[in-house]
Amino acid sequence: MTTTTERPSDDPRVKLDRDLGLFEPVPPYPPRTEREAEFYTLGDGQMFINMGPQHPSTHGVLRVVLKLDGEKVVDLDPVLGYLHRGVEKLCENADYHQAICYTDPLEYVSSLFTEWSPVIAFEKLMDVKVPRRAEYIRVLSSELNRIASHALFLGWMALDLGGLTPILWSFIERDEIVDMLAALTGQRMLFNYFRIGGVNGDLNHEFMSRLGDWMSRAAEHIEAGNGLLNENEIFVRRMRGLGTIDQKTALRMVMTGPNLRATGVPFDVRRAHPYSVFPELDFDIPTRQEGDCLARYLLRMDEIKQSLRIIDQCLHQMPDGPIMAKLPRLLRPRPGRAYAAVEGPRGQLSTYAVSDGTDQPFRMRIHDPSFIHLQSVGLMMPGHLVADTMAIMASLDPIMGGVDK
Amino acid sequence: MDRRFKERLEARFGEQLTGPIRQRNDETEMRIGPGDVVPVMTALHDEPELRFEFLSDLAGVDTGVVMQVVYHLWSDTTSDWLRVIADGLLRDDPRAPSVTFLWKGAEWMEREAYDMFGITFEGNRDLRRIYMPPDYQSFPLRKDFYLADDASRSPGGGVRPMERTHTPSNAPTTALVRRGSV
Repeated sequence: MTTTTERPSDDPRVKLDRDLGLFEPVPPYPPRTEREAEFYTLGDGQMFINMGPQHPSTHGVLRVVLKLDGEKVVDLDPVLGYLHRGVEKLCENADYHQAICYTDPLEYVSSLFTEWSPVIAFEKLMDVKVPRRAEYIRVLSSELNRIASHALFLGWMALDLGGLTPILWSFIERDEIVDMLAALTGQRMLFNYFRIGGVNGDLNHEFMSRLGDWMSRAAEHIEAGNGLLNENEIFVRRMRGLGTIDQKTALRMVMTGPNLRATGVPFDVRRAHPYSVFPELDFDIPTRQEGDCLARYLLRMDEIKQSLRIIDQCLHQMPDGPIMAKLPRLLRPRPGRAYAAVEGPRGQLSTYAVSDGTDQPFRMRIHDPSFIHLQSVGLMMPGHLVADTMAIMASLDPIMGGVDK
Repeated sequence: MDRRFKERLEARFGEQLTGPIRQRNDETEMRIGPGDVVPVMTALHDEPELRFEFLSDLAGVDTGVVMQVVYHLWSDTTSDWLRVIADGLLRDDPRAPSVTFLWKGAEWMEREAYDMFGITFEGNRDLRRIYMPPDYQSFPLRKDFYLADDASRSPGGGVRPMERTHTPSNAPTTALVRRGSV
Protein backbone atom coordinates (compact mmCIF):
# COMPACT_ATOMS: atom_id res chain seq x y z
CA MET A 1 0.00 0.00 0.00
CA THR A 2 1.36 3.44 -0.82
CA THR A 3 0.79 6.49 1.31
CA THR A 4 -1.23 9.25 -0.23
CA THR A 5 -0.35 12.05 2.19
CA GLU A 6 1.56 14.92 0.64
CA ARG A 7 5.09 15.28 1.89
CA PRO A 8 7.73 17.90 1.09
CA SER A 9 10.41 16.60 -1.26
CA ASP A 10 13.16 16.91 1.33
CA ASP A 11 11.42 14.58 3.74
CA PRO A 12 13.71 11.54 4.10
CA ARG A 13 10.74 9.20 4.62
CA VAL A 14 9.71 9.77 1.03
CA LYS A 15 12.44 7.40 -0.02
CA LEU A 16 10.91 4.57 1.94
CA ASP A 17 7.60 4.78 0.13
CA ARG A 18 8.81 2.90 -2.91
CA ASP A 19 11.13 0.03 -3.74
CA LEU A 20 14.69 1.13 -3.83
CA GLY A 21 16.38 -1.40 -6.12
CA LEU A 22 19.02 1.11 -7.20
CA PHE A 23 21.73 -1.52 -7.28
CA GLU A 24 19.64 -4.33 -8.68
CA PRO A 25 21.76 -6.07 -11.35
CA VAL A 26 18.79 -7.70 -13.09
CA PRO A 27 17.22 -5.26 -15.54
CA PRO A 28 13.63 -4.19 -14.78
CA TYR A 29 12.22 -5.41 -18.11
CA PRO A 30 11.78 -8.82 -19.77
CA PRO A 31 14.83 -10.16 -21.65
CA ARG A 32 15.12 -8.88 -25.19
CA THR A 33 17.38 -11.52 -26.69
CA GLU A 34 18.25 -15.17 -26.37
CA ARG A 35 21.59 -14.35 -24.85
CA GLU A 36 20.12 -11.92 -22.31
CA ALA A 37 17.53 -14.50 -21.24
CA GLU A 38 20.25 -17.09 -20.80
CA PHE A 39 22.47 -14.76 -18.81
CA TYR A 40 19.82 -13.42 -16.46
CA THR A 41 18.59 -16.89 -15.49
CA LEU A 42 20.31 -18.09 -12.35
CA GLY A 43 21.45 -21.68 -12.10
CA ASP A 44 21.68 -23.67 -8.91
CA GLY A 45 23.76 -21.87 -6.28
CA GLN A 46 24.59 -18.95 -8.57
CA MET A 47 24.32 -15.27 -7.81
CA PHE A 48 24.76 -11.90 -9.52
CA ILE A 49 27.20 -9.23 -8.49
CA ASN A 50 27.15 -5.77 -9.93
CA MET A 51 30.60 -4.31 -10.52
CA GLY A 52 30.64 -0.64 -11.32
CA PRO A 53 29.69 1.73 -12.84
CA GLN A 54 31.85 3.66 -10.39
CA HIS A 55 34.42 1.00 -9.74
CA PRO A 56 38.01 2.25 -9.88
CA SER A 57 39.32 -0.75 -11.81
CA THR A 58 36.92 -0.31 -14.71
CA HIS A 59 39.13 2.49 -16.10
CA GLY A 60 36.21 4.78 -16.69
CA VAL A 61 32.52 4.24 -16.20
CA LEU A 62 31.67 0.65 -16.97
CA ARG A 63 29.18 -1.66 -15.32
CA VAL A 64 29.84 -5.36 -15.41
CA VAL A 65 27.25 -7.82 -14.15
CA LEU A 66 29.06 -10.90 -12.93
CA LYS A 67 27.35 -14.25 -12.56
CA LEU A 68 29.09 -16.13 -9.80
CA ASP A 69 29.20 -19.65 -8.54
CA GLY A 70 30.88 -19.33 -5.18
CA GLU A 71 33.87 -17.19 -5.95
CA LYS A 72 34.21 -18.38 -9.55
CA VAL A 73 32.94 -16.24 -12.39
CA VAL A 74 30.56 -18.21 -14.60
CA ASP A 75 29.64 -15.51 -17.07
CA LEU A 76 29.54 -11.77 -17.34
CA ASP A 77 27.62 -9.07 -19.13
CA PRO A 78 29.25 -5.67 -19.65
CA VAL A 79 26.75 -2.80 -19.68
CA LEU A 80 28.01 0.11 -21.74
CA GLY A 81 26.81 3.57 -22.51
CA TYR A 82 27.62 5.51 -19.36
CA LEU A 83 30.12 7.66 -21.27
CA HIS A 84 28.30 7.74 -24.59
CA ARG A 85 28.51 11.21 -26.11
CA GLY A 86 27.56 10.45 -29.70
CA VAL A 87 30.86 11.56 -31.16
CA GLU A 88 29.99 10.23 -34.61
CA LYS A 89 26.83 12.32 -34.72
CA LEU A 90 28.68 15.38 -33.47
CA CYS A 91 31.30 14.91 -36.17
CA GLU A 92 28.60 14.72 -38.84
CA ASN A 93 27.36 18.10 -37.64
CA ALA A 94 30.77 19.74 -37.61
CA ASP A 95 33.07 20.71 -40.44
CA TYR A 96 36.18 18.74 -41.28
CA HIS A 97 38.52 20.70 -39.02
CA GLN A 98 36.14 20.63 -36.07
CA ALA A 99 35.55 16.90 -36.39
CA ILE A 100 39.18 16.21 -35.50
CA CYS A 101 38.96 17.79 -32.08
CA TYR A 102 35.83 15.78 -31.26
CA THR A 103 37.86 12.61 -31.70
CA ASP A 104 40.50 13.73 -29.19
CA PRO A 105 38.75 12.65 -25.99
CA LEU A 106 37.99 9.16 -27.30
CA GLU A 107 41.17 7.57 -26.04
CA TYR A 108 42.14 10.32 -23.73
CA VAL A 109 45.51 8.83 -22.82
CA SER A 110 46.61 8.50 -26.45
CA SER A 111 44.82 11.33 -28.18
CA LEU A 112 47.29 11.73 -31.01
CA PHE A 113 46.28 8.37 -32.43
CA THR A 114 42.57 9.06 -32.34
CA GLU A 115 43.30 12.30 -34.22
CA TRP A 116 45.51 10.58 -36.69
CA SER A 117 43.08 8.14 -38.23
CA PRO A 118 40.39 10.72 -39.18
CA VAL A 119 43.11 13.05 -40.42
CA ILE A 120 44.43 10.39 -42.80
CA ALA A 121 40.90 9.53 -43.92
CA PHE A 122 40.13 13.19 -44.67
CA GLU A 123 43.43 13.60 -46.49
CA LYS A 124 42.52 10.64 -48.67
CA LEU A 125 39.15 12.22 -49.42
CA MET A 126 40.86 15.44 -50.49
CA ASP A 127 43.94 13.85 -52.12
CA VAL A 128 46.27 15.97 -50.01
CA LYS A 129 49.98 15.31 -50.11
CA VAL A 130 51.40 15.78 -46.61
CA PRO A 131 54.92 17.27 -46.36
CA ARG A 132 57.53 14.79 -45.22
CA ARG A 133 58.58 16.86 -42.25
CA ALA A 134 55.00 16.86 -40.99
CA GLU A 135 54.86 13.07 -41.35
CA TYR A 136 58.06 12.70 -39.34
CA ILE A 137 56.76 15.02 -36.63
CA ARG A 138 53.55 13.00 -36.48
CA VAL A 139 55.45 9.75 -36.07
CA LEU A 140 57.78 11.25 -33.48
CA SER A 141 55.04 12.77 -31.34
CA SER A 142 52.71 9.78 -31.59
CA GLU A 143 55.41 7.31 -30.60
CA LEU A 144 56.07 9.46 -27.55
CA ASN A 145 52.38 9.29 -26.83
CA ARG A 146 52.47 5.51 -27.21
CA ILE A 147 55.18 5.29 -24.55
CA ALA A 148 53.16 7.52 -22.24
CA SER A 149 50.11 5.33 -22.76
CA HIS A 150 51.99 2.09 -22.14
CA ALA A 151 53.61 3.58 -19.05
CA LEU A 152 50.18 4.41 -17.72
CA PHE A 153 49.01 0.88 -18.55
CA LEU A 154 51.82 -0.55 -16.47
CA GLY A 155 50.94 1.60 -13.50
CA TRP A 156 47.20 1.02 -13.71
CA MET A 157 47.55 -2.70 -14.06
CA ALA A 158 49.75 -2.95 -11.00
CA LEU A 159 47.32 -0.71 -9.14
CA ASP A 160 44.40 -2.99 -10.04
CA LEU A 161 46.36 -5.90 -8.64
CA GLY A 162 47.01 -4.01 -5.41
CA GLY A 163 50.53 -2.67 -5.99
CA LEU A 164 50.87 1.04 -5.38
CA THR A 165 54.52 1.67 -6.26
CA PRO A 166 54.57 1.11 -10.06
CA ILE A 167 52.02 3.82 -10.77
CA LEU A 168 54.19 6.34 -8.99
CA TRP A 169 57.14 5.27 -11.10
CA SER A 170 55.29 5.17 -14.37
CA PHE A 171 53.77 8.58 -13.75
CA ILE A 172 57.28 10.01 -13.66
CA GLU A 173 57.83 8.87 -17.26
CA ARG A 174 54.36 9.84 -18.33
CA ASP A 175 54.63 13.30 -16.81
CA GLU A 176 57.89 14.00 -18.56
CA ILE A 177 56.46 12.94 -21.91
CA VAL A 178 53.24 14.83 -21.36
CA ASP A 179 55.13 18.00 -20.47
CA MET A 180 57.20 17.55 -23.58
CA LEU A 181 54.09 17.20 -25.72
CA ALA A 182 52.61 20.22 -23.98
CA ALA A 183 55.64 22.21 -25.12
CA LEU A 184 55.05 20.96 -28.66
CA THR A 185 51.25 21.09 -28.92
CA GLY A 186 50.13 23.40 -26.12
CA GLN A 187 48.08 20.78 -24.28
CA ARG A 188 48.89 17.99 -21.89
CA MET A 189 46.12 15.55 -22.78
CA LEU A 190 43.77 16.54 -25.60
CA PHE A 191 46.33 17.81 -28.05
CA ASN A 192 44.34 18.71 -31.17
CA TYR A 193 47.71 18.88 -32.91
CA PHE A 194 47.29 17.06 -36.21
CA ARG A 195 45.70 19.05 -38.99
CA ILE A 196 44.43 17.99 -42.38
CA GLY A 197 47.59 18.34 -44.43
CA GLY A 198 50.14 18.55 -41.66
CA VAL A 199 50.58 19.51 -38.04
CA ASN A 200 49.75 22.60 -36.05
CA GLY A 201 53.24 23.74 -35.06
CA ASP A 202 56.85 23.03 -35.83
CA LEU A 203 59.32 21.48 -33.40
CA ASN A 204 60.45 24.09 -30.92
CA HIS A 205 63.45 24.54 -28.71
CA GLU A 206 61.76 23.61 -25.44
CA PHE A 207 60.40 20.36 -26.85
CA MET A 208 63.73 19.38 -28.35
CA SER A 209 65.73 20.12 -25.24
CA ARG A 210 63.28 18.21 -23.03
CA LEU A 211 63.25 15.31 -25.48
CA GLY A 212 67.04 15.13 -25.71
CA ASP A 213 67.28 15.27 -21.96
CA TRP A 214 64.73 12.49 -21.53
CA MET A 215 66.07 10.24 -24.30
CA SER A 216 69.48 10.12 -22.65
CA ARG A 217 68.04 8.30 -19.66
CA ALA A 218 64.70 6.93 -20.92
CA ALA A 219 65.84 3.36 -21.60
CA GLU A 220 67.48 3.13 -18.21
CA HIS A 221 64.43 4.54 -16.39
CA ILE A 222 61.96 2.29 -18.14
CA GLU A 223 64.13 -0.73 -17.46
CA ALA A 224 64.21 0.18 -13.76
CA GLY A 225 60.44 0.60 -13.70
CA ASN A 226 59.93 -2.78 -15.36
CA GLY A 227 62.22 -4.42 -12.86
CA LEU A 228 59.67 -3.59 -10.19
CA LEU A 229 57.18 -5.97 -11.78
CA ASN A 230 59.17 -8.34 -14.00
CA GLU A 231 61.16 -9.63 -11.08
CA ASN A 232 58.28 -9.65 -8.65
CA GLU A 233 57.36 -13.27 -8.15
CA ILE A 234 53.91 -12.53 -6.75
CA PHE A 235 53.04 -10.48 -9.81
CA VAL A 236 54.47 -12.94 -12.33
CA ARG A 237 52.85 -16.00 -10.80
CA ARG A 238 49.53 -14.24 -10.52
CA MET A 239 49.54 -13.12 -14.16
CA ARG A 240 50.88 -16.24 -15.80
CA GLY A 241 48.15 -18.39 -17.31
CA LEU A 242 45.47 -15.87 -16.43
CA GLY A 243 42.89 -14.88 -19.06
CA THR A 244 44.42 -16.98 -21.79
CA ILE A 245 43.09 -16.59 -25.31
CA ASP A 246 44.38 -18.59 -28.25
CA GLN A 247 45.27 -17.36 -31.70
CA LYS A 248 42.20 -18.66 -33.52
CA THR A 249 39.78 -17.22 -30.96
CA ALA A 250 41.59 -13.89 -30.95
CA LEU A 251 41.16 -13.66 -34.74
CA ARG A 252 37.51 -14.65 -34.46
CA MET A 253 37.04 -11.93 -31.85
CA VAL A 254 38.64 -9.48 -34.33
CA MET A 255 41.19 -8.43 -31.73
CA THR A 256 44.14 -6.28 -32.83
CA GLY A 257 47.18 -4.63 -31.37
CA PRO A 258 49.19 -5.91 -28.41
CA ASN A 259 46.39 -8.22 -27.31
CA LEU A 260 46.49 -10.03 -30.64
CA ARG A 261 50.27 -10.02 -30.90
CA ALA A 262 50.47 -11.61 -27.44
CA THR A 263 48.84 -14.69 -29.02
CA GLY A 264 51.52 -14.92 -31.71
CA VAL A 265 49.98 -13.11 -34.71
CA PRO A 266 52.49 -10.51 -35.98
CA PHE A 267 49.76 -8.12 -37.16
CA ASP A 268 50.67 -4.48 -36.83
CA VAL A 269 49.03 -1.92 -39.09
CA ARG A 270 52.32 -0.05 -39.35
CA ARG A 271 53.71 -3.03 -41.26
CA ALA A 272 50.60 -4.82 -42.52
CA HIS A 273 49.19 -1.75 -44.22
CA PRO A 274 51.87 0.92 -43.95
CA TYR A 275 50.90 4.56 -43.62
CA SER A 276 52.89 7.76 -43.10
CA VAL A 277 56.68 7.18 -43.17
CA PHE A 278 56.73 3.82 -41.40
CA PRO A 279 58.10 1.98 -44.49
CA GLU A 280 61.28 4.05 -44.10
CA LEU A 281 61.75 3.26 -40.44
CA ASP A 282 63.42 0.21 -38.99
CA PHE A 283 61.67 -1.48 -36.09
CA ASP A 284 60.53 -4.95 -35.05
CA ILE A 285 57.09 -6.23 -34.19
CA PRO A 286 57.42 -8.07 -30.90
CA THR A 287 55.16 -11.09 -30.50
CA ARG A 288 54.57 -13.63 -27.75
CA GLN A 289 52.93 -17.02 -27.91
CA GLU A 290 51.23 -17.48 -24.54
CA GLY A 291 48.25 -15.15 -24.94
CA ASP A 292 47.83 -14.62 -21.19
CA CYS A 293 47.93 -11.51 -19.02
CA LEU A 294 51.67 -11.76 -18.47
CA ALA A 295 52.32 -11.97 -22.22
CA ARG A 296 50.16 -8.92 -22.86
CA TYR A 297 52.04 -6.99 -20.20
CA LEU A 298 55.52 -8.04 -21.38
CA LEU A 299 54.62 -7.33 -24.99
CA ARG A 300 53.77 -3.74 -24.21
CA MET A 301 57.08 -3.33 -22.43
CA ASP A 302 58.84 -4.66 -25.56
CA GLU A 303 56.90 -2.16 -27.64
CA ILE A 304 58.23 0.71 -25.56
CA LYS A 305 61.75 -0.28 -26.62
CA GLN A 306 60.71 -0.32 -30.28
CA SER A 307 59.08 3.09 -29.88
CA LEU A 308 62.35 4.45 -28.50
CA ARG A 309 64.10 3.09 -31.60
CA ILE A 310 61.59 4.81 -33.86
CA ILE A 311 61.96 8.13 -32.02
CA ASP A 312 65.72 7.89 -32.33
CA GLN A 313 65.47 7.33 -36.09
CA CYS A 314 62.97 10.16 -36.49
CA LEU A 315 65.33 12.55 -34.79
CA HIS A 316 68.19 11.50 -37.07
CA GLN A 317 66.19 11.49 -40.32
CA MET A 318 64.01 14.57 -39.68
CA PRO A 319 63.93 16.45 -43.01
CA ASP A 320 63.60 20.21 -43.41
CA GLY A 321 60.65 21.80 -45.12
CA PRO A 322 57.10 22.96 -44.56
CA ILE A 323 54.82 21.38 -41.94
CA MET A 324 51.51 22.10 -43.65
CA ALA A 325 50.26 21.43 -47.12
CA LYS A 326 48.65 24.37 -48.93
CA LEU A 327 44.92 24.01 -48.48
CA PRO A 328 41.92 26.30 -48.69
CA ARG A 329 40.42 27.28 -45.36
CA LEU A 330 37.01 25.82 -46.19
CA LEU A 331 37.36 22.20 -47.20
CA ARG A 332 34.80 20.70 -49.57
CA PRO A 333 36.08 17.35 -50.78
CA ARG A 334 34.32 15.83 -53.77
CA PRO A 335 31.89 13.02 -52.97
CA GLY A 336 33.63 9.80 -52.07
CA ARG A 337 34.56 7.38 -49.37
CA ALA A 338 37.81 6.85 -47.53
CA TYR A 339 39.03 4.46 -44.89
CA ALA A 340 42.17 4.85 -42.82
CA ALA A 341 43.61 2.84 -39.97
CA VAL A 342 46.48 3.53 -37.62
CA GLU A 343 48.14 1.34 -35.03
CA GLY A 344 47.30 2.86 -31.68
CA PRO A 345 48.70 1.69 -28.34
CA ARG A 346 45.63 -0.55 -27.93
CA GLY A 347 45.27 -1.77 -31.47
CA GLN A 348 43.88 -0.71 -34.78
CA LEU A 349 42.06 2.60 -34.70
CA SER A 350 40.25 3.35 -37.90
CA THR A 351 37.94 5.86 -39.48
CA TYR A 352 35.54 5.47 -42.37
CA ALA A 353 34.57 8.85 -43.77
CA VAL A 354 31.95 9.52 -46.40
CA SER A 355 31.81 12.87 -48.15
CA ASP A 356 28.79 14.21 -50.01
CA GLY A 357 30.53 17.30 -51.36
CA THR A 358 29.66 19.67 -48.50
CA ASP A 359 32.02 20.97 -45.83
CA GLN A 360 30.80 18.41 -43.27
CA PRO A 361 31.44 14.68 -43.30
CA PHE A 362 28.26 12.86 -44.35
CA ARG A 363 29.13 9.87 -42.21
CA MET A 364 32.10 9.36 -39.97
CA ARG A 365 32.53 5.97 -38.41
CA ILE A 366 35.14 5.54 -35.70
CA HIS A 367 36.34 2.07 -34.88
CA ASP A 368 37.97 1.78 -31.51
CA PRO A 369 40.03 -1.20 -30.36
CA SER A 370 39.01 -0.91 -26.69
CA PHE A 371 35.41 -1.61 -27.69
CA ILE A 372 36.45 -4.81 -29.45
CA HIS A 373 38.71 -6.01 -26.68
CA LEU A 374 36.17 -5.45 -23.96
CA GLN A 375 33.77 -7.94 -25.50
CA SER A 376 36.38 -10.70 -25.41
CA VAL A 377 36.57 -10.38 -21.61
CA GLY A 378 33.48 -12.60 -21.60
CA LEU A 379 35.52 -15.38 -23.19
CA MET A 380 38.55 -15.04 -20.94
CA MET A 381 36.83 -14.76 -17.62
CA PRO A 382 34.79 -17.93 -17.01
CA GLY A 383 36.46 -20.15 -14.44
CA HIS A 384 38.57 -17.42 -12.89
CA LEU A 385 38.06 -15.84 -9.49
CA VAL A 386 36.26 -12.54 -8.91
CA ALA A 387 39.50 -10.80 -8.01
CA ASP A 388 40.94 -11.78 -11.40
CA THR A 389 38.28 -9.77 -13.22
CA MET A 390 40.30 -6.64 -12.56
CA ALA A 391 43.57 -8.24 -13.60
CA ILE A 392 42.19 -9.53 -16.88
CA MET A 393 40.41 -6.31 -17.73
CA ALA A 394 43.46 -4.25 -16.89
CA SER A 395 45.69 -6.44 -19.05
CA LEU A 396 43.45 -5.72 -22.06
CA ASP A 397 43.87 -1.99 -21.36
CA PRO A 398 40.45 -0.70 -22.42
CA ILE A 399 39.75 3.04 -22.27
CA MET A 400 36.08 3.69 -21.64
CA GLY A 401 36.18 6.98 -23.53
CA GLY A 402 36.87 4.95 -26.64
CA VAL A 403 34.51 2.11 -25.81
CA ASP A 404 31.52 4.38 -25.33
CA LYS A 405 32.33 7.00 -27.96
CA MET B 1 46.04 0.41 -55.79
CA ASP B 2 45.98 -3.27 -56.70
CA ARG B 3 44.64 -3.56 -60.28
CA ARG B 4 44.98 -7.33 -60.42
CA PHE B 5 42.97 -7.70 -57.23
CA LYS B 6 40.09 -5.93 -58.97
CA GLU B 7 40.24 -8.43 -61.81
CA ARG B 8 40.32 -11.33 -59.37
CA LEU B 9 37.26 -10.03 -57.56
CA GLU B 10 35.38 -9.47 -60.82
CA ALA B 11 36.17 -12.99 -61.96
CA ARG B 12 35.13 -14.55 -58.66
CA PHE B 13 32.03 -12.53 -57.73
CA GLY B 14 30.91 -11.38 -61.19
CA GLU B 15 27.19 -12.11 -60.90
CA GLN B 16 26.87 -11.07 -57.25
CA LEU B 17 28.14 -7.51 -57.74
CA THR B 18 25.46 -4.85 -57.86
CA GLY B 19 27.78 -2.08 -59.03
CA PRO B 20 31.21 -1.59 -60.56
CA ILE B 21 34.27 -2.30 -58.42
CA ARG B 22 35.85 1.05 -57.62
CA GLN B 23 39.43 1.70 -56.58
CA ARG B 24 40.85 4.84 -55.04
CA ASN B 25 44.02 5.43 -53.02
CA ASP B 26 44.61 2.12 -51.24
CA GLU B 27 41.03 0.93 -51.16
CA THR B 28 39.00 -1.43 -53.31
CA GLU B 29 35.26 -1.21 -53.05
CA MET B 30 32.63 -3.74 -54.08
CA ARG B 31 28.85 -3.57 -53.73
CA ILE B 32 26.62 -6.52 -53.13
CA GLY B 33 22.99 -7.04 -52.19
CA PRO B 34 22.14 -7.84 -48.57
CA GLY B 35 21.08 -11.34 -49.61
CA ASP B 36 24.58 -12.17 -50.83
CA VAL B 37 26.41 -11.17 -47.65
CA VAL B 38 26.75 -14.70 -46.30
CA PRO B 39 28.13 -16.43 -49.44
CA VAL B 40 30.39 -13.50 -50.34
CA MET B 41 31.85 -13.04 -46.86
CA THR B 42 32.32 -16.78 -46.42
CA ALA B 43 34.17 -16.96 -49.73
CA LEU B 44 36.34 -13.96 -48.84
CA HIS B 45 37.16 -15.44 -45.45
CA ASP B 46 37.70 -19.08 -46.42
CA GLU B 47 39.14 -19.24 -49.91
CA PRO B 48 42.93 -19.62 -49.81
CA GLU B 49 43.57 -17.13 -52.62
CA LEU B 50 41.52 -14.43 -50.82
CA ARG B 51 42.15 -15.17 -47.09
CA PHE B 52 40.42 -12.15 -45.59
CA GLU B 53 40.89 -13.16 -41.97
CA PHE B 54 40.66 -9.71 -40.43
CA LEU B 55 37.40 -7.88 -40.14
CA SER B 56 38.72 -4.39 -39.64
CA ASP B 57 35.44 -2.62 -39.28
CA LEU B 58 31.69 -3.01 -39.57
CA ALA B 59 29.60 0.11 -39.91
CA GLY B 60 26.04 1.04 -40.66
CA VAL B 61 25.40 3.94 -43.02
CA ASP B 62 22.19 5.80 -43.68
CA THR B 63 22.33 7.51 -47.06
CA GLY B 64 18.95 9.14 -46.53
CA VAL B 65 17.46 6.88 -49.24
CA VAL B 66 18.65 3.42 -48.29
CA MET B 67 20.67 1.85 -45.50
CA GLN B 68 24.00 0.15 -45.98
CA VAL B 69 26.21 -2.13 -43.97
CA VAL B 70 29.87 -1.50 -44.73
CA TYR B 71 32.53 -4.10 -44.00
CA HIS B 72 36.25 -3.39 -44.18
CA LEU B 73 38.52 -6.37 -44.54
CA TRP B 74 42.26 -6.96 -44.52
CA SER B 75 44.19 -9.78 -46.10
CA ASP B 76 47.85 -10.48 -46.82
CA THR B 77 46.98 -11.40 -50.41
CA THR B 78 46.50 -7.77 -51.44
CA SER B 79 47.91 -4.40 -50.50
CA ASP B 80 44.46 -2.79 -50.46
CA TRP B 81 41.74 -2.47 -47.88
CA LEU B 82 38.68 -4.24 -49.17
CA ARG B 83 35.41 -2.44 -48.60
CA VAL B 84 32.28 -4.54 -49.06
CA ILE B 85 29.10 -2.49 -49.12
CA ALA B 86 25.87 -4.40 -48.58
CA ASP B 87 23.65 -1.89 -50.31
CA GLY B 88 19.94 -1.27 -50.64
CA LEU B 89 18.58 -2.11 -47.19
CA LEU B 90 15.05 -0.73 -46.86
CA ARG B 91 14.90 2.26 -44.57
CA ASP B 92 11.58 1.17 -43.07
CA ASP B 93 12.82 -2.26 -42.12
CA PRO B 94 16.56 -2.60 -42.64
CA ARG B 95 17.67 -6.23 -42.42
CA ALA B 96 21.01 -7.85 -43.09
CA PRO B 97 22.44 -11.24 -42.21
CA SER B 98 24.90 -11.35 -39.33
CA VAL B 99 28.56 -12.22 -39.86
CA THR B 100 29.04 -13.48 -36.31
CA PHE B 101 29.37 -17.03 -37.64
CA LEU B 102 32.71 -15.95 -39.16
CA TRP B 103 33.81 -13.31 -36.69
CA LYS B 104 32.32 -13.64 -33.23
CA GLY B 105 33.74 -10.19 -32.48
CA ALA B 106 31.36 -8.60 -34.95
CA GLU B 107 28.63 -9.10 -32.38
CA TRP B 108 29.10 -5.80 -30.59
CA MET B 109 29.69 -3.90 -33.80
CA GLU B 110 26.36 -5.22 -35.07
CA ARG B 111 24.74 -4.29 -31.79
CA GLU B 112 26.10 -0.80 -32.26
CA ALA B 113 24.75 -0.59 -35.81
CA TYR B 114 21.40 -1.83 -34.51
CA ASP B 115 21.44 0.74 -31.72
CA MET B 116 22.37 3.64 -33.98
CA PHE B 117 20.51 2.75 -37.21
CA GLY B 118 17.96 0.10 -36.29
CA ILE B 119 19.50 -2.42 -38.69
CA THR B 120 18.39 -5.93 -37.71
CA PHE B 121 21.14 -8.49 -38.10
CA GLU B 122 19.56 -11.89 -38.55
CA GLY B 123 21.59 -14.52 -36.74
CA ASN B 124 23.11 -12.27 -34.09
CA ARG B 125 21.99 -13.84 -30.83
CA ASP B 126 22.50 -10.75 -28.68
CA LEU B 127 20.97 -7.95 -30.72
CA ARG B 128 19.96 -5.40 -28.11
CA ARG B 129 20.83 -1.77 -27.57
CA ILE B 130 24.40 -1.23 -26.46
CA TYR B 131 24.86 2.50 -25.81
CA MET B 132 21.40 3.95 -25.49
CA PRO B 133 19.07 3.03 -22.63
CA PRO B 134 16.85 -0.01 -23.20
CA ASP B 135 13.62 2.04 -23.29
CA TYR B 136 14.95 4.38 -25.93
CA GLN B 137 13.01 4.34 -29.18
CA SER B 138 14.93 6.37 -31.76
CA PHE B 139 17.98 5.55 -33.82
CA PRO B 140 20.35 8.47 -33.33
CA LEU B 141 22.63 8.17 -36.35
CA ARG B 142 19.81 8.06 -38.86
CA LYS B 143 19.63 11.11 -41.07
CA ASP B 144 16.10 11.96 -39.95
CA PHE B 145 17.24 12.21 -36.32
CA TYR B 146 17.98 15.81 -35.50
CA LEU B 147 20.37 16.73 -32.77
CA ALA B 148 17.64 18.24 -30.61
CA ASP B 149 17.14 15.57 -28.02
CA ASP B 150 14.05 13.46 -28.54
CA ALA B 151 14.62 11.41 -25.44
CA SER B 152 11.40 12.78 -23.96
CA ARG B 153 9.39 10.59 -26.34
CA SER B 154 10.62 7.37 -24.74
CA PRO B 155 8.35 5.67 -22.16
CA GLY B 156 10.68 6.67 -19.36
CA GLY B 157 10.37 10.30 -20.33
CA GLY B 158 14.07 10.35 -21.06
CA VAL B 159 14.83 9.44 -17.49
CA ARG B 160 15.64 5.88 -16.56
CA PRO B 161 13.71 4.30 -13.67
CA MET B 162 16.98 3.96 -11.79
CA GLU B 163 17.45 7.70 -11.77
CA ARG B 164 13.92 8.46 -10.63
CA THR B 165 14.10 6.58 -7.36
CA HIS B 166 14.49 9.57 -5.09
CA THR B 167 12.03 11.95 -6.68
CA PRO B 168 8.90 12.59 -4.63
CA SER B 169 5.86 10.71 -5.79
CA ASN B 170 3.85 13.81 -6.64
CA ALA B 171 6.55 15.51 -8.69
CA PRO B 172 5.73 16.01 -12.37
CA THR B 173 7.65 13.68 -14.64
CA THR B 174 10.24 15.07 -16.96
CA ALA B 175 8.16 13.92 -19.92
CA LEU B 176 5.26 16.15 -18.90
CA VAL B 177 7.53 19.11 -18.43
CA ARG B 178 9.19 18.67 -21.81
CA ARG B 179 5.97 18.00 -23.68
CA GLY B 180 4.37 21.03 -22.11
CA SER B 181 7.21 23.36 -22.98
CA VAL B 182 7.80 22.23 -26.59
